[in-house]
Amino acid sequence: MSPDTPPDGPGTRERAPGIPPAGPGTLLEVRDLRVEFRTRDGVAKAVDGVSWSVAAGETLAVLGESGSGKSVTAQAVMGILDTPPGRITGGEILFRGRDLLKLKEGERRRIRGAGMAMVFQDALSSLNPVLTVGDQLGEMFTVHRGMSRKDARAKAVELMDRVRIPAAAERVGQYPHQFSGGMRQRIMIAMALALEPDLIIADEPTTALDVTVQAQVMDLLAELRRELGMGLVLITHDLGVVADVADRIAVMYAGRIVETAPVHDLYKAPAHPYTRGLLDSIPRLDRKGQELYAIKGLPPNLTAVPSGCAFHPRCPMARDVCRTDEPDLSEVSRDRGSACFFWRECLRG
Amino acid sequence: MAEPTRPTEPIIEVRGLYKHYPLTRGVVIRKQVGAVRAVDGVDLDLFAGETLGVVGESGCGKSTLAKLLVNLERPTRGSIRYKGEDITRLSARALKAVRRNIQMVFQDPYTSLNPRMTVGDIVGEPYEIHPEAAPKGDRRRRVRELLDVVGLDPEYVNRYPHQFSGGQRQRIGIARGLALRPEVIVADEPVSALDVSVQAQVVNLLERLQGEFGLSYVFIAHDLSIVRHISDRVAVMYLGRIVETGRDAEIYDHPTHPYTQALLSAVPVPDPSVRERRAAAGGNGGRIILSGDVPSPTNVPSGCRFRTRCWKAQERCAREEPELAVPERFREAVGPARHDSACHFAEERCVVPSD
Repeated sequence: MSPDTPPDGPGTRERAPGIPPAGPGTLLEVRDLRVEFRTRDGVAKAVDGVSWSVAAGETLAVLGESGSGKSVTAQAVMGILDTPPGRITGGEILFRGRDLLKLKEGERRRIRGAGMAMVFQDALSSLNPVLTVGDQLGEMFTVHRGMSRKDARAKAVELMDRVRIPAAAERVGQYPHQFSGGMRQRIMIAMALALEPDLIIADEPTTALDVTVQAQVMDLLAELRRELGMGLVLITHDLGVVADVADRIAVMYAGRIVETAPVHDLYKAPAHPYTRGLLDSIPRLDRKGQELYAIKGLPPNLTAVPSGCAFHPRCPMARDVCRTDEPDLSEVSRDRGSACFFWRECLRG
Repeated sequence: MAEPTRPTEPIIEVRGLYKHYPLTRGVVIRKQVGAVRAVDGVDLDLFAGETLGVVGESGCGKSTLAKLLVNLERPTRGSIRYKGEDITRLSARALKAVRRNIQMVFQDPYTSLNPRMTVGDIVGEPYEIHPEAAPKGDRRRRVRELLDVVGLDPEYVNRYPHQFSGGQRQRIGIARGLALRPEVIVADEPVSALDVSVQAQVVNLLERLQGEFGLSYVFIAHDLSIVRHISDRVAVMYLGRIVETGRDAEIYDHPTHPYTQALLSAVPVPDPSVRERRAAAGGNGGRIILSGDVPSPTNVPSGCRFRTRCWKAQERCAREEPELAVPERFREAVGPARHDSACHFAEERCVVPSD
């Protein structure tokens, strides 16, 4: 056990409301994470006190629009945040109880890849265009496992088979541009799987793909997760994809979590007006010909987040208190939280 | 077409439209070695006041079709008639007049606006090209009016595009499209680059403007739920061709082409209980997971172009290209399954599990 682990072990400390307590199955726990960016216009609090946890075999979706801080959270967890301009100003990232933020870079590297791995949105720009996919996949084994090039190559073919790239043995010597978008995303997934991590963080893994290919890739991710018992953190803006694969969901707005809930509860009755607005703005059959519900206004500029609740200028339920006081995440039920003063009202619809 | 009751002539009538981009080899002696068949035989009609949705995956030719419709590209073959006049054969001068009436809204509001021009100049630029549309002294006022119409503060005329968010930029693009009071707007993925909460605002704006100005839309998108919301009729494209077309409910609730069925079944439904219903149904629960990728448009399969990914494909499909018409088995039928579908083995199939 590392000296950084609290003596009473993970899970006994005070937990954030609505976030299930960390148990023995908890892989990763983010606590009160804060990330700032220094920009010309001032300091942007991209992540402002975010907590969530994910257990082995569980799929957590982190849902948010651009600028909500969802990708920055993932980058901070993986330790690939650009610093500067970014800076982690507070919080803990506990992987199996060890705070990653207190580890040396060397130790961190060992966890990255073998402990947790990331799948990026844009496979074309995330793969090296001048190396064959076999070399890139094999590198995982030569660098992390000290394998010979020949063995690593064999492993690469095995991985490509596993993510169902047809004719893997022939294609292992090809370059990324010779693969289609869906196949490139499979290579990214293969790379993430290489060292058999406990946790995969997938940042918009299917956003750049066509619908029919998206279905293939999500299917593959879900199946591999089941097979290998991994935890999956899915960063996305797509309410459809979330409903399809997630167990739990954390909704982010302006750097904070505004609602967290098991996926069924959230879709049935959202406990935050922002979540409600997102769900209502999806075109539905019975509302064809009518105006779509639209959340008014725009997401805030992170260097000038509104006072009180950041959502209040766009919120149909906002009252005076929302303009002055910042709502904390309050416990709706044991595994559900909402950062709205009026969540009871919101739940009632 | 399956629209016998419609009394009016179409405002745009496309027949046998092809756009092939030649692939050449050699520098000094250029030899054509093949062609990208981006649009490969498209027929479609657009009627006044309606919205025609065009859906398809990347590379299916829908954006090339958009460019052909607004004459940004010249077709290899085929005709595009605007009110009976073939615009692919017009002289430059006559074309200019037609162009006033068919305007385009682009996908990416970040690259389709000139960063060095103010919003006022961007929205007013069409008047420079078509000075007859607005007298010089009146232009400033018109631009402010247009900004107001699309829901932007008219005081913003002197700002630059980078000072706006994505949704606001798309409004600027729409205002520019409206400047010449066109009859037809071709919108190529107008909301795809926007955040979910802002998409709804822009969709509502487009619908409101349609009513206000009597516009006809060709709405090109890959998001099937938004297309359904906004469209009266829908055309599904695959590899340069329309494979199925009909009224929105005919396509979404009674698709008969296997590609449409696969496409619809692949769309994630924002309702977690669908997942359980699918699981309860066993297997993929009605979801069709297509194998493989879309073939390259440089090398289109013989016969039916979808056959390489189709689970129903038979020998006939490789031999004979199915035409876009009401399939034989539905010709006598009444009801929503009777619409154009380019498949030899067209049949109905429920793809989205319902309660």
